[in-house]
Amino acid sequence: MTDDPLDRSTAAGTARLVRREMHSSRAVSSVVTAVVLVLVCLVLLFEAVLQAVGDRPFLVDLDAAAAWIGAVPAGVPASLLGAGSFLLLVLGLLLLLLALVPGRRARYTIPNGRAAVVVDAEVVASSLARRARTAAGVAPEQVLVTVGRSSVTVQIRPTSGMPVDADAVRAAVADDLRRSSVEPAPRISVVVAETGVIGQ
Amino acid sequence: MNTTPRLLNRLLLAVVGLIALAASAFGLALLVLPGVAPWWNRTAPRIGDRIADVRTGTTLEGQADTWLWIALAAVLVVVIVLLLLWIAAQGRGRTGLFASVDGRRGRRATASSGDDDGSVRGTVTITAAAAEQALKAALLERSDLAGASVSTWEIRGVPGLKVRVFPRKGVPPYAVAEEVSRLVEALDAVTGYRTPVLISITSGARARFMRTERVD
Repeated sequence: MTDDPLDRSTAAGTARLVRREMHSSRAVSSVVTAVVLVLVCLVLLFEAVLQAVGDRPFLVDLDAAAAWIGAVPAGVPASLLGAGSFLLLVLGLLLLLLALVPGRRARYTIPNGRAAVVVDAEVVASSLARRARTAAGVAPEQVLVTVGRSSVTVQIRPTSGMPVDADAVRAAVADDLRRSSVEPAPRISVVVAETGVIGQ
Repeated sequence: MNTTPRLLNRLLLAVVGLIALAASAFGLALLVLPGVAPWWNRTAPRIGDRIADVRTGTTLEGQADTWLWIALAAVLVVVIVLLLLWIAAQGRGRTGLFASVDGRRGRRATASSGDDDGSVRGTVTITAAAAEQALKAALLERSDLAGASVSTWEIRGVPGLKVRVFPRKGVPPYAVAEEVSRLVEALDAVTGYRTPVLISITSGARARFMRTERVD
């Protein structure tokens, strides 16, 4: 079917889809920033129009504001200026980091011949928890699976008097991960708690 | 899937961030560095005089103030419109058209209608809703899925499908991926198009609060 003129799906296109789905688009922070900037611009616009018409300023007296900036360390307490500057510093750093940091989402991709497949880490975790639970023979509440970017941690609280075979759990989890062949492949660690719980 | 301008988002965020950093650096320098405050207090009046000169120079006869205010207002209007366009550009790209074949160009819809060749005059259109609902109906029959949604998006000029499935707790994602891609291949056979498809296996709120166990 690859020679078909109606074939519109390419490997490169699929890779692009996966790449875009794995990273944040920064849409939310962009919209928030834009809304704030629009509000600031609207106030400035209003004041500029009032000045042009020769009316009295409404919220911000632009002349007074300019004079205040010109005299700046004088007209304002040092603590307030420091706090304001620090706030701006944090805000600026936050925006810069949002722009520069890759922004990977907690997702994995599963190779598939037909489509781009993206899985939430949470789904992977719940699948692993189920496998680990059946391998250990415990109730769902006794298993906690944490899926990170490059590691999987399985925490098991065994039922009292019934030892849990950590290697069997590890093998089951590894098998599940291998079958879904999520990328990037995570490292597995199994932690069996020292204390057990009363059988459930 | 959507055409959110990711590079533009990051560029603009970086610009705004740098402006905020510059302002904060100025404020902190005024406080911390001893030489900066006197320098600024010497420089600022000169800038103020320059601005005052410009204002008197651009004030028309009979007017109270400079026409630069109107120019500033116009610039601000343009800036506001650009910012609103930036907001509107987020998350765009949904389309209502899955496929369209122009009869005169002689394209053949492969599997759907064997005896019709492309020479018939007219256009054949498959709306996005048709493809979406066919796939969604097939997905909702599955008991291991708590829900599914299908939407059509324009990807680099061609329509593509975004399939979001919400598996129940504990369902292995590889099995879901395989079965959904099989359904997608069935849709390929029905429509004759092999569109780009994104299968997104997510844990919606509904799947999260549902019980793990179910009777098979």
